[in-house]
Amino acid sequence: MNSREYQALALVFLGVSSVTTQLLTIREFLSQFHGNEITVSLSIFTWLLLTGLGSLIAKPMRRASPGLLSLLLLLAALMPLTQIASIRFLRGIAFVHGLSPGFYPVFLFIIATTAPYCLLSGFIIPLVQIVSRSTGSLLESGTVYSLDSAGDIAGGLLFSFIIVYLLTPFKAVAATSTPLIVLAVKGLTRPGRVKFLILFMIPILGFYLFSLWPKLETETLMGQYGEVLSYGESPYGRIIVTREGDQKSIWGSGVPLYSDREVVNSEEKIHYALSQLDRVESVLLVSGGLGETLEEVFKYKPASVDYVELDPFVTGLGTDHGLIRKGSSANIINTDGRRHLKETEHRYDAVIFDLPEPDSFQLNRFYTSECMALVKKSLRGKGIFAMSVDYSPNYISRLERQKLSILVSTMKTHFDNVLILPGEKAYLLARDGELHEDIPSRISIKGISSSYVSAFFYGNVTGERIQAVNQAIDSVAPINRDFSPGLMRIVFADWFARYGSSPYIFLFVVLGLVTVYLIFLRREEYLLFSTGFVIMGAEMLVVFSFQVIYGYLYVQIGAIVTAFLAGLLPGALLGKSSWGRLASHKKLFISEAILMALLVLFLVWIGVYRIDLPPAVFLAYCVVFSGVCGFQFPVVAYLIGEDKGPLAGCLAADLWGAALGTLATGTVLIPLWGMEISAIVLITLKISSIILKALK
Amino acid sequence: MEMTRIEFLRTVGLGISALIMPGQALAFPGLADPEKDIRGTVFRNDAPARPWKWSTEGAYYSTSGKLVQCGICPNRCLLKPGDRSVCRSRVNVDGRLYSLAYGNACSVHTDPVEKKPLFHFLPGSLIFSIASTGCNLRCLNCQNWEISQKKPDEVDHIELFPPDIVAEARKRKIPSIAYTYAEPVTFYEYTRDTSLIAREEGLLNVLVSNGYINEGPLRELCAVLDGANINLKSFSDRTYRTLNGGTLDPVLNTLRILAREGVWFEITTLVVPAYVDSPEMIKEMCGWIVRELGPDRPLHLLRFFPRYRLTRLPATPVETLEKLRETAMKEGVNHVYIGNVAGHPGANTYCPGCRKLLVERKGYLKGEFHINKGRCGFCGRQIPGRWVV
Repeated sequence: MNSREYQALALVFLGVSSVTTQLLTIREFLSQFHGNEITVSLSIFTWLLLTGLGSLIAKPMRRASPGLLSLLLLLAALMPLTQIASIRFLRGIAFVHGLSPGFYPVFLFIIATTAPYCLLSGFIIPLVQIVSRSTGSLLESGTVYSLDSAGDIAGGLLFSFIIVYLLTPFKAVAATSTPLIVLAVKGLTRPGRVKFLILFMIPILGFYLFSLWPKLETETLMGQYGEVLSYGESPYGRIIVTREGDQKSIWGSGVPLYSDREVVNSEEKIHYALSQLDRVESVLLVSGGLGETLEEVFKYKPASVDYVELDPFVTGLGTDHGLIRKGSSANIINTDGRRHLKETEHRYDAVIFDLPEPDSFQLNRFYTSECMALVKKSLRGKGIFAMSVDYSPNYISRLERQKLSILVSTMKTHFDNVLILPGEKAYLLARDGELHEDIPSRISIKGISSSYVSAFFYGNVTGERIQAVNQAIDSVAPINRDFSPGLMRIVFADWFARYGSSPYIFLFVVLGLVTVYLIFLRREEYLLFSTGFVIMGAEMLVVFSFQVIYGYLYVQIGAIVTAFLAGLLPGALLGKSSWGRLASHKKLFISEAILMALLVLFLVWIGVYRIDLPPAVFLAYCVVFSGVCGFQFPVVAYLIGEDKGPLAGCLAADLWGAALGTLATGTVLIPLWGMEISAIVLITLKISSIILKALK
Repeated sequence: MEMTRIEFLRTVGLGISALIMPGQALAFPGLADPEKDIRGTVFRNDAPARPWKWSTEGAYYSTSGKLVQCGICPNRCLLKPGDRSVCRSRVNVDGRLYSLAYGNACSVHTDPVEKKPLFHFLPGSLIFSIASTGCNLRCLNCQNWEISQKKPDEVDHIELFPPDIVAEARKRKIPSIAYTYAEPVTFYEYTRDTSLIAREEGLLNVLVSNGYINEGPLRELCAVLDGANINLKSFSDRTYRTLNGGTLDPVLNTLRILAREGVWFEITTLVVPAYVDSPEMIKEMCGWIVRELGPDRPLHLLRFFPRYRLTRLPATPVETLEKLRETAMKEGVNHVYIGNVAGHPGANTYCPGCRKLLVERKGYLKGEFHINKGRCGFCGRQIPGRWVV
């Protein structure tokens, strides 16, 4: 293997390892902290930001030895293990046990735990080029970018379609770091360096001993969970069953979903809805079938009960541990609830949603007018629809009032009557027929027994409280829609209010730093910055749109995310295939025009036509989009000139643009202004880069 | 000075945090203090320029020039002009202390008295319940954080001055008034003045509180109180600091004073897994209760559910509650109840003498009732409490 081949492999293997580590780390954060759209965006933002910073650190370097590269490759291969272990370990030191921390502590924790690896992996990419220059076989910036993209694509594919199904996090780290370790060892194995090699073998051995130790996963999770009975990593998150004395609890991504004898929620969500009906033949339960829930449903003697749960690990482990008592006639369906509503031809007497708060795009789809239209379609004549949201029984805050008002407005677009029952949560009932407030008397007439509703309802859900919450509703509140998820903004605001913090300090700091950065940015780099922003923004818009049409289907979503990577390599190869200077300017203008056209196409689709497109169209769109983005990188690097060492600056611009695009689109643009305005903002950004380029 | 490994990590973490975002570094509760103390701090320059309509001059404060020190609770906030207290309801305006929570109730409801929980106080009756904003603690599992962790101007309120509250309770024919939901110690003047009028009008007053109050104000309040439920959050000062942002001793002192002043009160302890579920701690706590307050003080052990910021803990196992109840009773507490578990027999009252069922509780519905004139209907033993108006 010559040095050029070595360097090329280093980039590819690093790409594989770093993408896998990124995905594992984000999943880890989602299991440690509140997994709303803000923390998802924050994790990606921080990762890209720090990686970009790592690249920029290498900018002043002119020479570097191959030995240094091999050493850093070894470090980069070993660090994912310590990173994931340290996230689990440090959480217990930094935060009170059981606490769900707020925005700023989470942000600082993410920075503290990911900075070493991100800075290192970002630093290595331009370092490879510097080493190549030092060894007399310069890898051009376009080539470096192409090779890194190839590694990223391979890592994305590997993780999304193989690793997530087969390996737990530490074993995944071991698997994806191995090529890098082998390469690093090869680089460090030279005559006269045998002693050094033995020194390096110690951490390598330790790495494998730890990462392949069968009990490592559960041992490192015990601090958070206690006694772990079952542990599984599903494509949708970490599912764990624990035991506390005689009690069993099931957890989804760090949040307790159910503990034995939690009858209040089971009784409230079932009896408030089903007691409204004279006869219950068929029931659809979307999520929340744990514990006593299905037993409560069967008290109404329905002929059929469909229980839809996205994650098969929840129903699998739940059933294994007796946390789902489905009886003989409950039908468990593992699919996306909204997809089921769209595709089913069955008609139900009751559709009951028991979902977390709409704090992500994935969840918001269940709280929209479009979803309620599907519910209405699936209900028999005067069937009932019920859902619930968090609620404080003793005081209706302004944000809660807004949240409930939006939901009532949205429900009223499809149902004649809507009633809120203020229990431990706010239960929203919608029906074209009559809705009754006196639940205990309804279930008493039916001869149904209950331990909570019969005994506590009159004291907790008093007529006075029912009247207060229903009168607090603003009748002209906006409607929550798929492509204009106003409800998410309220839920985000509520999350910040819970911690007495505001996102504005963070936003001002970021804006200030971006302004300073833009001042010192080359025009060509700004083009890459805006493209990085746009590609991540577009990816979020496309993934969100796809979910709306087809449901949250892991494999398909994984395919879309991979398609957004897949175009980068052919694009980059095409971009560096011809090097005429004039042609490069033209190429950039053409690529910018194509990106604009693609965004306009998206805007027209969501704004005007909004027809269901086949999945292949989405995939093709993503590949073309990322292809154009990949195309620009080598062209820009060429325009700046290889003699000026453009790689580090270009990488940083690309990554920082992507970081900002993720954060801005996911947490500000879509929740505040909806999909159409978000697309317009992305178009405007591209216009700005064209104008800036043209001015030159 | 020697440093442990964990202390070193904390220090490094805090240093990095401070470099990156100085103002937010203290957001790491664990890093900011090795004891993970989450006690609140004074809000500097956060007071309104002048008191508003729902203000009254604060009781129990001292001055030094323009500096004031609030003496209501153990926080003893030292406020410069323009500062706001830890509880968010009390401010220094030009050298005088004002309560901003007077006559502006943010939560007004009619509840069963058992909801407070009070099981030995007019069972089966309703209680008119009011709250204004604020709390002197920072409990991570607060179920009323929308009002307890807010400033008076941040919430919607109903104008209800003390005479209005009493009139409303009388209009509804409710025998008692509860000062509850948020923390009545922070709206002390509102509670005190309403209680005075209520007492004159023949209504009973109930304080539902964390008990984090100084002796002087408490003794004054005792003169008009008929009942109380005090939340003894744990029997460990460290847990108080970590989960609640307070300290243990002042709460124990409150319990002693209430007992000495003859106010009927019951104690509530939320059994938080991993923090307040140790049998040794409950044993020690109950030993103290029996020694200092007597064996007849009802104790409510409540099941914890994830709330507010403490959402990554499971619910308390019912078995744990049952074992702790057993421990408490073995230590000599005669009336130990299990709460937040629907249909559990641990919510019933049994005679400590003959062990027979005296009060059967099906939620808020009263079942069997065998107490006559405060005595067991079977063996005649006196059952402590206030059973009739």
